[in-house]
Amino acid sequence: MKKSYLLAVLLVVIAVVLLLQTGNATSEYADFARAAETGDKVQLVGTYVKDKPTIYDPLTDPNYFSFYLEDLTGAEREVVLLMGKPQDFEMSESIVLTGRMKDHQFIASDIQMKCPSKYKDEEEMIKNLTES
Amino acid sequence: MEEIQYLNEHLGPRYVGHFAIVLAFFAAALSMVSYFLATQYRGEVLRSRSWQRLAQLSFLAHGAAVFTVIGCIFYAMLNQYYEYQYVTAHVDGQLQQRYIFSAFWEGQEGSFLLWMFWHVILGYVLMVTARSWEKPVMAVVCSVQVVIVSMLLGVHFGYGDWFLKLGSNPLLLLRETVNAPIFQQADYTELLRGNGLNPSLQNYWMTIHPPTLFLGFASTVVPFAYAVAGLWTGRHKEWLTPGLKWSLFSAGILGIGILMGAAWAYEALNFGGYWAWDPVENTSLVPWLMLVAGIHTNLISRATGQGIRATYLFYLFTFVLIVYSTFLTRSGVLGDTSVHAFTEMGLETQLLLFLVFYFALSLGLIIWRWRSIPVPEEEEATSSREFWMFIGSLTLFMSAVLITGSTSLPVYNEVRQFFNPVFDGLTLTEPEAHHNRFQIWIGIFVGLLSGVAQFLRWRERKFSNHLRYFSVHGGAALIGAAALTLLTLQWIDAPTLPYKIMVFAGWFAVWSNLDYLIFFVRKDPKVAGSVVSHIGFGIMLVGIMASSGNKRIISQNQFLMEGLTDDEQLARSTVRLYEGIPLGMEDYVVTFTGDTIDGMNRRYQMEYERMNPDGEVVERFQLEPNVLYDKGFEKIAITNPSTKHYWDRDVFTVIMGLPPEEQSVKIRQETEDSLQYRVLPLVRGEETSFRDTVAIPQRNSSIIYTYTIGLENFSRHPNHPEYDPEPGDIGIGAQVHAHRSGGIANHDTVADVALVLREGLLYHFPAQINDMSLRIKIDESVFEQLLVQDEDLNYREFVVTPGTTFRLGDRQITFDRFISQPRVDHFEPDDGDIWVSALLECEGYEMQPIFLIRGNQPSGVRDEISELGLYAHLTSLNPETNEATLRVAQAQPKAARSIPLAVAPRSFRTDYITLQAIEFPGINLFWIGATSMMLGLLVSMVTRMRAKRLRRTA
Repeated sequence: MKKSYLLAVLLVVIAVVLLLQTGNATSEYADFARAAETGDKVQLVGTYVKDKPTIYDPLTDPNYFSFYLEDLTGAEREVVLLMGKPQDFEMSESIVLTGRMKDHQFIASDIQMKCPSKYKDEEEMIKNLTES
Repeated sequence: MEEIQYLNEHLGPRYVGHFAIVLAFFAAALSMVSYFLATQYRGEVLRSRSWQRLAQLSFLAHGAAVFTVIGCIFYAMLNQYYEYQYVTAHVDGQLQQRYIFSAFWEGQEGSFLLWMFWHVILGYVLMVTARSWEKPVMAVVCSVQVVIVSMLLGVHFGYGDWFLKLGSNPLLLLRETVNAPIFQQADYTELLRGNGLNPSLQNYWMTIHPPTLFLGFASTVVPFAYAVAGLWTGRHKEWLTPGLKWSLFSAGILGIGILMGAAWAYEALNFGGYWAWDPVENTSLVPWLMLVAGIHTNLISRATGQGIRATYLFYLFTFVLIVYSTFLTRSGVLGDTSVHAFTEMGLETQLLLFLVFYFALSLGLIIWRWRSIPVPEEEEATSSREFWMFIGSLTLFMSAVLITGSTSLPVYNEVRQFFNPVFDGLTLTEPEAHHNRFQIWIGIFVGLLSGVAQFLRWRERKFSNHLRYFSVHGGAALIGAAALTLLTLQWIDAPTLPYKIMVFAGWFAVWSNLDYLIFFVRKDPKVAGSVVSHIGFGIMLVGIMASSGNKRIISQNQFLMEGLTDDEQLARSTVRLYEGIPLGMEDYVVTFTGDTIDGMNRRYQMEYERMNPDGEVVERFQLEPNVLYDKGFEKIAITNPSTKHYWDRDVFTVIMGLPPEEQSVKIRQETEDSLQYRVLPLVRGEETSFRDTVAIPQRNSSIIYTYTIGLENFSRHPNHPEYDPEPGDIGIGAQVHAHRSGGIANHDTVADVALVLREGLLYHFPAQINDMSLRIKIDESVFEQLLVQDEDLNYREFVVTPGTTFRLGDRQITFDRFISQPRVDHFEPDDGDIWVSALLECEGYEMQPIFLIRGNQPSGVRDEISELGLYAHLTSLNPETNEATLRVAQAQPKAARSIPLAVAPRSFRTDYITLQAIEFPGINLFWIGATSMMLGLLVSMVTRMRAKRLRRTA
């Protein structure tokens, strides 16, 4: 059984090395400034700026959705999302984007939205439940 | 405050259910203690037996109580007792009966109950079959039941500010969980409506996937319990045989459950694939990997006595990982990273204790017994089968560790944030790529090992004797697999070397296991199951490479954007389709031909034609992706794909977007209201023109267009493609000619518009002319000019025979005759209609009111002589006397001098969709391979059970 144990230890070492490598595949959430510095693909958290122009015109290009995002440091930049406008976009509380900074725009290839839980308060829930 | 006496509450299920939950808890606890003592006193037969008897009885009672709780919830759900919070949360009036099960396990409580249900069934089976193992094994099963029932207790322990919530009771009333003014009303139940089932779960896969998966989840407790029992009683070898059968069962069912989840994702969700390395998927895969590793060491230890410790560890960890998975998906920790985790419910602490307890128990037991677990003196040879199988198990174990590690990042973040609140948290930038990078090597190793091990012998003493067989068969497999790989690579691409090796590993596993089957199945039929599984694994590897590595986005975007990377260009994967206009995508031409609405479900018809390079159509098929609206048609709840299955590939299609006007009736109304209509009264043959300035989007300029609108014709018989006539409709239709000049090209169109009054409501049937962004409808003021409602008329009744003339005011009206089934322009018959008109004549004009029988219901259609202001109904006819009952009224004659047309420029088209289409080559290889992998496990279980029965009867 000794050989097996040696191998087991070896495999555990490999696993640990690989897991440590995972460290490279992970990153902290970036902000626009850091994204612009590195130019690399990052994940970025922010909120949708409602009073700046939001463009989605599927008749022109169904994979071009542009809006303004305020990151956690308060910086606002234009974001170009390379897909259609997601459902319930306006309702999102915060947005996680995967993408990179290109000139003054943030080119996002993926989006995840955190939407508020269905009912903000109990009253609204009851209201919803009693509507026919 | 005064107690309110509520009306119409159904409290029966609540009382019964609460009692049953408490009973289930205490019966499980009693059963656990009794089984524990029965095990401890196993030396004293009588004492042990009486404890065992008590334990059995209380477990039977526990099972009955669990079934009762489930029954109570179903009873309340089926009867739609909305006073129960679980019913309001998961049911509504529109819920179809066939989804009642989905609704039941949509919530956390329901899925806990499903889990317990399986534990009870498995417990009953164990009570009958486990014999000497019943006591310790059932003690463990009962302990798990105690923990899970406690999740449903819904008891609050409070002390000052500190309180502990123990479980969440599914049978609480809504008024017990929330505080709202509505509960001041005694009859509040009349007002409540349900919330309904999440539309993405309204799918048949959601009826069969959760129970299968939970049977898999639940059954992992049995190998775990056997392992604990083995350690506890010190019978380290005897448990291996029943443990193996149960773990084969568990791995087979759990695997099938996971695959069903993959099938659901592929068939019903819109992310375009069957596996996304989502944390919820990962945490169900990891216990499976661990269990399969355990099955292999279990086989080794039964054959050679080696690796009992590893078997213990793998089975113990499998269950701990099941609990960990429960913790991750139900505690809300995953909230940010997973699409389909549950939201938190206040059970985090309890779940964490659950996890810590079983982890500590496993670790404690194994440390306690470590030294007494037998290990053979002699070491296994490097050339033996057990050695390489053991390596294979370790590889699976490593895969499980890697996946768990990456999936646990949110847990790591929580912990760091606990100590350092400003810590932002780490994420995997590209989780799919990350997992694929590691798991591809796991797949390669397992593929190669499962081939090589089949050529080796158990307990190899002298490899030199076996070397010839090994090199001939192994060499043949190498060559065969290489040839098959070359052939496969003609068909699909494997971009990098690791992918090529993966295809090779897949074929190598297939070839060597077939070889093994051919040479060994007669000697030992038990190998059949293992061979089926390993061949399945090999085919699955090739299938993954084909379907995921070679998936082709057909709906490539035609618009190029400058400066994008390849990956980014690939993200732009949707195309826009106008209704009726074919679009070429790669080698397909797709046409969006129309849509149909059935309830909340709207299906879109997509005609696909595949072209060969010469432009000839080689195949033609139709796909019907659909969207599901929410209750008020105010938004889209979910879009479902539609997939054409060929034996060698699938064509997957999903709607990614609709125009805002089609997503919500509210927006459609807003858009309609924002249009600037101008009303143009026109008589037949007349034309009029106006000008409008239209801005060009994203440029600072505009175009001045001249529109010319003419009325070609109008009639009282509305004619419009979307208009479906019904009896009783009063309507008007017009044919309009529209012309636009200015801009690049002139446009000229003739279109139909209609306006219909049906049961007091006005229905517009406008013409949307997309070429000139023009919308035309008949202005409602036409009714004041033209149409008179029955309410405004003073009818008089006449009962007359044909040929009679009667008088109404100053008009002489002659009832000429009945006409059977006449063709008239104010009535359009349906199949099966029976209709008769009465021909009335007055001053040279005619009208024909109609008496209609449609589906056994009598009704009628009014007719009029507009010029004279006469209106008539034929309300009934008497076949015996040949008399007609007529109701006739007279009003001021209204002849249409002109038809007011409302015309709005800048009305943009809404007849488009955005679509994603993906081709998955060879996806059936994945399904076939993965399914036979799981079936092989079950085949092994069955052959082992039969072998045992044969031994016993022999």
